[in-house]
Amino acid sequence: MISTDRAVPSYRLAPNYRPFVMPALIVVCAVIIFPWAFTVWMSANDWTLGQARTFVGAENYINLALDARFWESLWHTIYYTALAVILPLFLGTIAALIFDEQFPLRGFLRGVFVMPMMATPVAIALVWTMMFHPQLGILNYFLSLVGIEAQGWIYDQATVIPSLVIVEVWQWTPLVMLIVLGGLAAVPREPYESAEIDGANGWQKFRYLTLPMIGPFLMIAVIIRTIDALKSFDIIYAMTQGGPGTASETINIYLYNVAFSYYNIGYASAMAIIFFILIVILSFVLLIVRQCTVWSQAGDGK
Amino acid sequence: MASVRIVNAKKNFGAVKVIRGVDIDIADGEFVVLVGPSGCGKSTLLRMIAGLEEVSGGEIYIGQREVSHLRARDRDIAMVFQNYALYPHMTVSDNMGFALKLKKAGEQEMNDKVARAASILGLENLLERLPRQLSGGQRQRVAMGRAIVRDPQVFLFDEPLSNLDAKLRVQMRGEIRALHRRIGTTTIYVTHDQVEAMTMADKIVVLHDGLVEQIGTPLELYDRPDNLFVAGFIGSPAMNFIDGRIENGEFKAIGGLALPLPEGLPAGKFAGVELVYGIRPEHIRAKADGIQGTVDLVEGTGSEVYAKLDCQGQAIYCLFRERIQIEYQQSLCIGLDPSLVHIFDKATGKRVVV
Repeated sequence: MISTDRAVPSYRLAPNYRPFVMPALIVVCAVIIFPWAFTVWMSANDWTLGQARTFVGAENYINLALDARFWESLWHTIYYTALAVILPLFLGTIAALIFDEQFPLRGFLRGVFVMPMMATPVAIALVWTMMFHPQLGILNYFLSLVGIEAQGWIYDQATVIPSLVIVEVWQWTPLVMLIVLGGLAAVPREPYESAEIDGANGWQKFRYLTLPMIGPFLMIAVIIRTIDALKSFDIIYAMTQGGPGTASETINIYLYNVAFSYYNIGYASAMAIIFFILIVILSFVLLIVRQCTVWSQAGDGK
Repeated sequence: MASVRIVNAKKNFGAVKVIRGVDIDIADGEFVVLVGPSGCGKSTLLRMIAGLEEVSGGEIYIGQREVSHLRARDRDIAMVFQNYALYPHMTVSDNMGFALKLKKAGEQEMNDKVARAASILGLENLLERLPRQLSGGQRQRVAMGRAIVRDPQVFLFDEPLSNLDAKLRVQMRGEIRALHRRIGTTTIYVTHDQVEAMTMADKIVVLHDGLVEQIGTPLELYDRPDNLFVAGFIGSPAMNFIDGRIENGEFKAIGGLALPLPEGLPAGKFAGVELVYGIRPEHIRAKADGIQGTVDLVEGTGSEVYAKLDCQGQAIYCLFRERIQIEYQQSLCIGLDPSLVHIFDKATGKRVVV
């Protein structure tokens, strides 16, 4: 028999909840705080793997500022990112507007349309490399059918980045489409009837109603695409390794080369820190812009 | 401003006939309410006038112009929707000025018209707000402001008050009437609420199953309903209907209850015909030597007493405007004023009393 009237203990422990956050804290420290702090520390050292390490302070950053190859890779990153954001955004929005309409086989075609997203980047890279081949590739064959001369695609310094962006667009336009499609589904239908009565034509309805109302969703797509494009590595590395020459070398590829081909850990860390700061600044800007496009939240906090 | 004429209008959704041939004449400046139960086609008819639904048959004229197949934006009408249908991302002033912006009106004209509409509706202090920052009543006003700014030939209202609470509804009802008096634009107003119809309309159109049951002023509909449907629909609480026949100059209900007939009724003509006897609850009085019944239900609101009586198996609802003391299961005698009785033919549902 268990007695029901238990004696109240004469002492009580003050409640202490801190131990409960320890596991999460340990994980965060191990995988975020420590690597980050260690990178900062490494960037202040001249350290090539297998050799002696010397503290050099800001020297790595100064060298970086004077490194033409770094500036070039930064420009490539910006160029690549801009194209890889704008084109999928534009095409994805158009695709979403089309798939928002009712037509036969819509569900099936939508499924087909999102298939590129499911493919493995390296596999995609191999297939597209074959398609881009100047002599054997199918793209130049298609061009020859309509009388356009053969292009160098990823084998030509002038066209390598736009060509890589084609692959990126092919793979990620469906993502933008899905986001915008979600946005279109959230758009109320009634304002379109008032707009019809107010005298709006099709274009005006799109310009003044649809576009501003899906604005917040477009911004989400921009943010996701921007982050994705900035850190894009696998497709570029698998297709060109930054070549021809350094024509498609983005910061990521350059960073990889410095760190794991030249083993210059200190310099690479400095580059990583700069890149990190750039991404943080850009993310803030995008979040602020996004805030300006929001119209549906209840209560605006003002 | 313009008159509106609807001639034999029809609307089918596939095989379903929603509007089955409707004729309505609306004079310039008139306030007409389309009323009927859910699914009677009143909103569809309004949307046909607006141009938001295709017309399957018949014609619609605004002024002298046939508009049956014109697009909504070419009909010069303004519409206020049940859910307001404001542009959620635009401020109040942008919402109201949107139609003018589309017409490429000048900044000055736009500001003037928006300011005028805002002052009519008391929205001056809300012009920079977004719809989500407004209350239901304010949104309703913005929707009306949007209509006023257009200065259209016809205002269309599609159940504009049904999303508001009861108190606000009464207030907005008055405001819409006042607005109509002030602006004088021809107005077509759809509601399922017969109290709204009675209090607002110059003329009521009662719709049922895609057909017009009766058109008339509110009091005409109340005093002389053409048929059983209108009699049951107009008036609250609803009219009592008692089935029976005329025998020996009296109305004999099926349970045997005898009721007085209105004078001048050619009783002989209806001998043996199945009829329906209609009397409004508010036309029944407590009367010492009247028809005896047992009280089945009592509801007092202070200003009136609503009771259900069982008179020889026949349920009769009564509304007493004076305060009388009655208890559940008590016996009560009532008197009917024969001049306020309505008699309908049960088979056709039509009114038979002259």
